[in-house]
Amino acid sequence: MPLFFLNMFSAYLLSFLGVLLYRSHLMSSLLCLEGMMLSMFIIISVVIINLHFTLTFIMPIILLVFAACEAAIGLALLVMVSNSYGLDYVKNLNMLQC
Amino acid sequence: MKMFASFTMLTIMILIYPIVMTLSSNYNIFNFPKHVKTTIKSAFLFSLIPTFMFIDKGYEAIITTWHWTIFQTLDISISLKMDFFSMMFVPVALFVTWSIMEFSMWYMHSDPNVDRFFKYLLLFLITMIILVTANNLFQLFIGWEGVGIMSFLLIGWWYGRPDANTAALQAILYNRIGDIGFVLSMAWFLTNSNSWELQQLFITDHNNLIPLLGLTLAATGKSAQFGLHPWLPSAMEGPTPVSTLLHSSTMVVAGIFLLIRFYPMLENNQTILTTIMCLGAITTLFTAICALTQNDIKKIIAFSTSSQLGLMMVTIGINQPHLAFLHICTHAFFKAMLFMCSGSIIHNLNDEQDIRKMGGLFKTLPFTSSALTIGSLALTGTPFLTGFYSKDLIIESANTSYTNAWALLITLIATSLTATYSTRIIFFALMGQPRFSPLSPINENNPLLNNAIKRLLIGSIFAGFIITNNMDPMNIQQMTMPWYLKLAALMVTVSGFMIAMELNNLTYFLKIKSTSQQMKFSNLLGYFPSTIHRLIPNTNLMTSHKSASKLMDLIWLEKSTPKLLALLQLMMSTLTSNQSGLIKVYFMTFLLSMLISLPFLI
Repeated sequence: MPLFFLNMFSAYLLSFLGVLLYRSHLMSSLLCLEGMMLSMFIIISVVIINLHFTLTFIMPIILLVFAACEAAIGLALLVMVSNSYGLDYVKNLNMLQC
Repeated sequence: MKMFASFTMLTIMILIYPIVMTLSSNYNIFNFPKHVKTTIKSAFLFSLIPTFMFIDKGYEAIITTWHWTIFQTLDISISLKMDFFSMMFVPVALFVTWSIMEFSMWYMHSDPNVDRFFKYLLLFLITMIILVTANNLFQLFIGWEGVGIMSFLLIGWWYGRPDANTAALQAILYNRIGDIGFVLSMAWFLTNSNSWELQQLFITDHNNLIPLLGLTLAATGKSAQFGLHPWLPSAMEGPTPVSTLLHSSTMVVAGIFLLIRFYPMLENNQTILTTIMCLGAITTLFTAICALTQNDIKKIIAFSTSSQLGLMMVTIGINQPHLAFLHICTHAFFKAMLFMCSGSIIHNLNDEQDIRKMGGLFKTLPFTSSALTIGSLALTGTPFLTGFYSKDLIIESANTSYTNAWALLITLIATSLTATYSTRIIFFALMGQPRFSPLSPINENNPLLNNAIKRLLIGSIFAGFIITNNMDPMNIQQMTMPWYLKLAALMVTVSGFMIAMELNNLTYFLKIKSTSQQMKFSNLLGYFPSTIHRLIPNTNLMTSHKSASKLMDLIWLEKSTPKLLALLQLMMSTLTSNQSGLIKVYFMTFLLSMLISLPFLI
């Protein structure tokens, strides 16, 4: 059990690191965000099933729903940036200043 | 005495008979125009008998024939009021119409639908007689609408011409605006007097402005007063007999006749009298100014009619309805004759209506030109011709009554302008060298034409005298006045003649500035049709277009919620954000602060 936790937590932390540290494309941040969501989902499902918290069985589903929404918003922002600047380079966002 | 009612009914029945019989199939009249002319001649002779009875014995009657309907508390029946006004007007109208029918037998003889033309003219005459003999407002309204419809059909007689169709529609529209006033008055009388009979309306002391304003609006529409006047010159698109009958003698006086009928209600209300007088004064001056620079002979005479109608309104405004009625009767004679002379000129010059292309007709059309001259002299009020008996009396009464000095001054100016434009017609059409193509054969020897004009000529000279001597004096005239007031009309008329002849002779020797501002103002009728005919429909259509598409569709369906929300969000975010877009720096800060706080968490 602790091994499982080590595995999943390190997956979560690595994805988190990937969200925060990336080089140029905004898309890589969003992909790591999805990774965070995935590891969170697995942790929650396994813990709840092991500990028989019946009333919280709905929680992973809700997590999925909200993760889908957030992915959609993230992609919409990506598309807006891409519409304005042509690529999703993150340095575009403060390049045009005098 | 029992002949009175029967002769009145006989007059009306004779006129209705040809119309009704055209519905049956075995009514084969070989020469329908001549039949109609004979009908009207006999109707005229029959109508003289009640008139002579009235003149001799003062015999008036109200003939109620058919109880039509009861509408809760309102009785409507067919009742004919044969009093001074209707009994003097009906013979005059029938006499003038008789001459017009004879004239149009000559004028329209080559028209393939001449039978229908005469039927329309006869229908018009019938509705006009219904109008003047009506004792209740419902019957008057029937006659009112009837003359409007016949005017439409007759103005648009040559319906292939778009100008004629436009003019007919214009006549209907302007008359309709006047009808609003008429219906308003009818509704007011219905709710406040519970009757449409004239006797009951005059008994009650109403002293309210609303119905009188409605009647004034109706007269403005029908009699082409200022504001609703453009239809009358446009109505000259119809054939000359139509202009002669409708738009000089009979239909356009219907509005004035309505106000004359209601004189017991008008004479107690000084406000409405002043309104009527000012309206008439503006009309008479404005249309006289417009008549000065027109180039179509029929339009000049139409404006002359309009100016005389304004004069009749002024007469009503100084509380002299009987003088106005006298002017209606005398005006019918010489104005009809002027139109017929112009019709003779037009036909003889091969349908040329522009006075700049006429000239030198004194020698070639002697009878027509003498009739035109006498008609113009009668129009301007030459002493002891017909027009003098009504027009001079009007100007005298206006001069000696306690009235609006501005309106009086305007009326005097318009009187002098009457002489001016009459001189213009005579100068351009009759005098000088001919300016028309010499190929049209000029022949005025047709007895139909000559007899018609001769009859009206005798009427133009003597009718004023005859009618005045057979009328009872209804108002005490002011007999004594200073000599300059007594001769005021004559002096301004003579000065108008002299100025006009001087100006006309100037055109031979001096070159004047070709179109001055005043000339443009006068020729384009004061820019009234140019602005009003475009402004009002354009405004209405643009308003409806904008409100339908822009207001309803665009704003409510598109812009009120979706685009408004997007705009608001954009505005708010640009206003409130002070971020600078340095995302990697922000993420790095986040990571560092997490790492620093990690030992404290674990």
